[in-house]
Amino acid sequence: MPSASDTRRAPAPAQDAAAGPPRGPLSTGNVVRGAAFLVAAALILLFPALAPNPFILFSGVIVASYACTATAWNFMGGFTGYISLGHAAFFGLGAYATGLLTGDLDWPPFVAWFVAGLIVVVLCVPVGIAALRVRGASFVIVSIAFVLILLLVAQAWADLTGGSNGLVVPRPFPDLSRPEHHRAFYFLFVALLAVMLLVWWAIDRSRFGAGLKAIREDEDKAQALGVPTRDYKLVAYLVSAFFTALAGGMYALWFGDLDPIFQFSILLGSYMVLMALLGGVRHLFGPLLGAVIVGSALEFFKLEFGDTQLHLVAAAVLLGIVVLFMPDGIIPAARDLARRFGPQGTSIREMTAAELLERNRAAAARTQADADAPQSKEDRP
Amino acid sequence: MSGSLLFQSLVLGVLLGGLYALLAAGLTLYFGVMRVVMIAHSAFLILAAYLAWYFNKETGLDPLLSLVVTVPLFFAAGVVMQRLLITRLRPATLTMMSVLLTFAIALFIEGMLGFVFTGTQRRINLSYSGSDIEFFGAQIAVVKLVAFGLAAVSLALLYVLLKKSRFGQALRATIQHPQAAQLVGVRTDRVAGLGFGIGLATAAVGGTALSLDATIYPSLHWHWVGPLMAIIVVGGLGSIPGTAIAAMVLGIGQSLLQVELGTTWAQTLFYIALFVTLMVRPQGFFGGRLAQRF
Amino acid sequence: MSQWKRRATALAATLSASALLLTACSGGSGGGGPDDPIVIGVSLPLTGDFSEPGKGVQRGYEAWVSAVNENGGLLGREVELRVLDDQSSADRVVQDYEALIAHYEVDLVFGPFSTRLVVPSARVAEEYGMLFVEPAGAAEAVFEQGFENLFYAAPAIAQDHYAHLADHILSLPEGQRPRTVAVASMDDPFAQGTAHGLRDRLAEAGLEIVVDETYPPNTTDFAGIAAKIDDSGADMVIGGTQYQDAVNLIVALQQLNYQPQIAAFSTAPTNPEFPVAIGDRTEGIIAPTGYTPDADWPSNVAFVEHYTEMFGGPPAEDEANAYTTGQVVAAAVEAVGCAEQGECQQRLVDWLRDNEVDTVVGPLSWDDKGRPQSAHLIQQYVDGEVSIVLPEDTAEAPFVHPKPEW
Repeated sequence: MPSASDTRRAPAPAQDAAAGPPRGPLSTGNVVRGAAFLVAAALILLFPALAPNPFILFSGVIVASYACTATAWNFMGGFTGYISLGHAAFFGLGAYATGLLTGDLDWPPFVAWFVAGLIVVVLCVPVGIAALRVRGASFVIVSIAFVLILLLVAQAWADLTGGSNGLVVPRPFPDLSRPEHHRAFYFLFVALLAVMLLVWWAIDRSRFGAGLKAIREDEDKAQALGVPTRDYKLVAYLVSAFFTALAGGMYALWFGDLDPIFQFSILLGSYMVLMALLGGVRHLFGPLLGAVIVGSALEFFKLEFGDTQLHLVAAAVLLGIVVLFMPDGIIPAARDLARRFGPQGTSIREMTAAELLERNRAAAARTQADADAPQSKEDRP
Repeated sequence: MSGSLLFQSLVLGVLLGGLYALLAAGLTLYFGVMRVVMIAHSAFLILAAYLAWYFNKETGLDPLLSLVVTVPLFFAAGVVMQRLLITRLRPATLTMMSVLLTFAIALFIEGMLGFVFTGTQRRINLSYSGSDIEFFGAQIAVVKLVAFGLAAVSLALLYVLLKKSRFGQALRATIQHPQAAQLVGVRTDRVAGLGFGIGLATAAVGGTALSLDATIYPSLHWHWVGPLMAIIVVGGLGSIPGTAIAAMVLGIGQSLLQVELGTTWAQTLFYIALFVTLMVRPQGFFGGRLAQRF
Repeated sequence: MSQWKRRATALAATLSASALLLTACSGGSGGGGPDDPIVIGVSLPLTGDFSEPGKGVQRGYEAWVSAVNENGGLLGREVELRVLDDQSSADRVVQDYEALIAHYEVDLVFGPFSTRLVVPSARVAEEYGMLFVEPAGAAEAVFEQGFENLFYAAPAIAQDHYAHLADHILSLPEGQRPRTVAVASMDDPFAQGTAHGLRDRLAEAGLEIVVDETYPPNTTDFAGIAAKIDDSGADMVIGGTQYQDAVNLIVALQQLNYQPQIAAFSTAPTNPEFPVAIGDRTEGIIAPTGYTPDADWPSNVAFVEHYTEMFGGPPAEDEANAYTTGQVVAAAVEAVGCAEQGECQQRLVDWLRDNEVDTVVGPLSWDDKGRPQSAHLIQQYVDGEVSIVLPEDTAEAPFVHPKPEW
C-alpha cells in the first residue's frame, strides 16, 4: 500500500499497484511492497488465532480500537495540521448515541451504530464552525472544552445518559461466548480500519486532499490561492468526527458498559494524538503503527505496573520525546536514519531542487531498466 | 431563591472568583510572553497543593508556611522549563507543539503524584477547617477567606510588579509586540523565561490556597483546566486585567447558577461563555488583541 | 524501492514484536493439582474515588485468607489472593477481571468494591461462567441485570439500609418528628439507593423534601450544596455518600454552622478514618451498617479476635463484608468439593442458590437474583463512640434525638 509520501505530481512513476501504474506493474518494488503488505495484513488477520488466551485477544481489540481512533484523528490532524486534543468527544458521542439507540429504542445494533455516526456529524457542524473560526491555541482550547462540556452533560443529564452510573449497551451477539465475542469485534474493528485507510488514501490523492495539505503548510497562502479553506477544514473535521464516532460506537457495542469519565476523557484524546504523531501524521500507516506501539505498550504497562500510575508517566515521557525530538514521527525519523537521501518528504514545500533532480533521475533509470529488462533490479543512483 | 441564599452565593462567588483570577493570571501570562497554552498550569497547581498537604502532614505546621519553599521552587522550575524545553520547539509550530509538550508535563506530574502519594483523596485537616465568621448575615468559612486574601495579595503584587518595575515594562512590551521590544533593546528571551517563572509561582500560591479547603487527588487538574482556559479566552488571551474581570464574572455566575441548576450544570457556564466568545468576539470581551491569530 | 521494503519490514517487525511482547507476559497460574494453592482473583479500588473503602475490603479479604490458611486451607489446599488495582474506574475493572480469569487463570474470583464497578465486572465473570460473590454491589440496579452467578454478601440491599431508621422516625410522636428533609446524593447507584430509599419512605409519610440534590462522583466543592441545605433550614439531612464526599459535605455544612436534628450519611461514618478526617466533629451522625463487631454470631467472635490481632483494631463494615464474601465462597467450595474454572463454578452457584450460609453478619440466603434476605443496623456517634442504636432489640445505646450540635 502506498503512503501519503507518494502523492506527488512530480514526474515520478505512480507508486501503487492499486491505481494501476502506467508501466512496470510487476517491477521488483511493487512485488516487494505487495508482499510486505500481504505479510502485514496476514499478521493482523491471524492475530486472533495466534493469541494464547482471551485476555491477549481482549488487548488486541483495544489496540485495534486505538488504531481506528488514531487513524480517524489523522483525517483532521494529519491533513490540516489542526491538532485536536478533544477527539474523545466524538468517540464518546458515538458510543453514547449507539448505546441509546440500541438500548432505549431497540434499534438493530449495526443500524444504530451507523446512524449514530451520522448524528454525531450533524451535532458537530456548529461546533466545527465555531472551533474553526480560530487557529492554533484557541482551536486546541475549544477542542478540550468540547470534551469537558460533554462530560458534564453526560454526568448531569441522568435521565438520558444514565448519569455517572453510565449506560449498559445490549450485546449485539448475545449467543457468543466472551472469547468469540472478542474475536468477532477484533475483525469488525480491523474492517473499519481498512475502510478508513481506503478513504484516507482516496482523499490523499484528490484535489480536496491537496487543498487540505496546502492549509497545513500555510493557511493564508492557501486562502490567497483560492482554496476554500473554511469549507475544506470543516469537511475534514466532519469526516474525522464521523470515523471517530464510528470507532466509539463500535467500542460501545463491544465493551457494553459506558462510563462518562472514560468516554469523555482528555486522556483518550491525547492518546490519539500521541499515536498519530509517533507513527507520523503524514503517512497513511503512521497512526496505525503508532497505535500498535503505544497501545501494546500501554496494555503491557497496565498489566505489569497496574497498581501504580506509572503508565501515565510512561505515556508522558513518550509524548515529550516525540514532540521534542521527532515531531514528524518514527516513519520519517527511521527513514532519515536508514537513508541519508531520498525524496520522501511529503510536503511539496519540503522537496528541494536537489531531491527533485534525484527523483527524476531515479524515474529515468527505472524507465530505462524497465525497457531493458522489466524484471531486473532497480538501478538507483 | 431567598435573599439570604442569594447573598450567600454571591459572597461564595466573589471568593471563588478571586482564586480563579489568580490562577488564570498565570495562564494568560505564559500566553502573552510566549504564545504558549500551558496545559500543565493546573497540574502544577495540584502539585503545590500536594506539597502543602505533605508539609502540613509531616511538620504539623500551617500549610501556608510551605509557600516559603514552593514559590521559589516553582519560579525556578518555570524559568528552567522555558529555557530548556519550550525554546527547543520550532517557532513555526510552537503554539501547537507547546500544547502537547505541556500536556505531557501535566501527565507526568499526575502520574508521579499518583505514584508517590497514591490516588487516594487527601484533605488538609486544620483546626479552623469548619470555622466561619458572619458577614452581613452570610457565613464565610475562614479557610476560604484566607485563600481569597492570598489571591488578592498575590494579584496586587503582580500588578505592582508589572506596572511599576523596569522588568514589568519589558514584560508588557514583550507581550504587546515582541519584535519591537527586541528592537528597543529588551532581551525578550530572558524576559520570557522570567515571565514563565512568575506564572508558575502564581500556581504555587494558588495551589496552596486551594489546598486549605479542598480535597485533592492526582487527576483533579483536569477539573481546573477547562474553567481556566475558558476564563483566559473570555478575558482576552494575554490580557491580565481582562482575565481578572472574566474570572470574577464567571466565578460569581457559577456560584449563582449553582443554586438553581446544581453544581454540574453550573459548570457548563464556562464552556458556554467560551463558545459564545469565539462566535461573537474571538479577541475576548475584556481586552486582549491577540486571540484571533492564535 | 528499498525504502518500501524497509518500511514494510519495520511494520511487520513491530506487529510481531508487540504480539510477542503480549505473548511473553502471558502464562497463568494454570492447573489445579491437589497441592497447588487455590488462587482467588480480586480487583479493588486501592486508589481513586473509592480507595478508603477499597482498602477496607482488602484488609477483610486478607484477614479471611490468613484465617482459612491457619485452619488448613480450603479442601486441604492453601489459599492465595491475587489483587489488582482498578483505580476506581469501570474500564480498568473489566480489564482486571478479564486478566484474572483469562490470563492468570485464577480458580475463583471475589467481587470488587462499589456498585458502579460491580455491574461491569459481574458481566465479565458471568460471561466466563464464574461464580461471583461480591461485598459491595448493593443497589437495585445490580440485581436487575439478569446475572445468574451473582450473590451479594451482606444483609440487605441499598434501598433497605435505612429501614429501621425510617420505622423509628415514623414512630415518633408528631411534635418530635422532623418536618423537613434535605437530601444530597452522589450520582452513584449505591449512594443514591440508600438515600432515596429513606427519602421515599419519609416523603410517603408526609415529610416535606425541601432540597434534593445529586452531584457527580468527582465533585469536590460542596459550598453551593451546603449553602442550599443551610438556607432551607431542613430539620433532617440525608447524605447519599461514599467516603470523601461525605467528609467534604459535612465540613461545608459545619462552615455554615448548620445544625440539623438528624444527620444521616451512608458508608463514610462506618470507616475508621472518618472521625480523623472531619476533626472529630462527629456528634450524633447516623449511618446504616451491616455489621457490628459486638454481634454474637458464632464465627464473628473468632473473626474480631483474628482481625484485631492482624491489624491492631476491630474490623469495620467493609472488612466484615469482604470477610463474609470469603465465608460464603468457602462454604460453597467445601460443600461441593471443587474450586477451579469450568463446570465446577456452576455447581457452586447451584449450591448457594439452595442453601443458607452462617457468616459474621448472621445467616445469609439469597433470592433468585442474588438479593440477600436480611436487614441493616443503624449506628450513631455518641460522645465520639460508635454505637448501634437501632433496631431497639439489638441496640447498644439509646438513639439520641435531636442530635447535639456538631
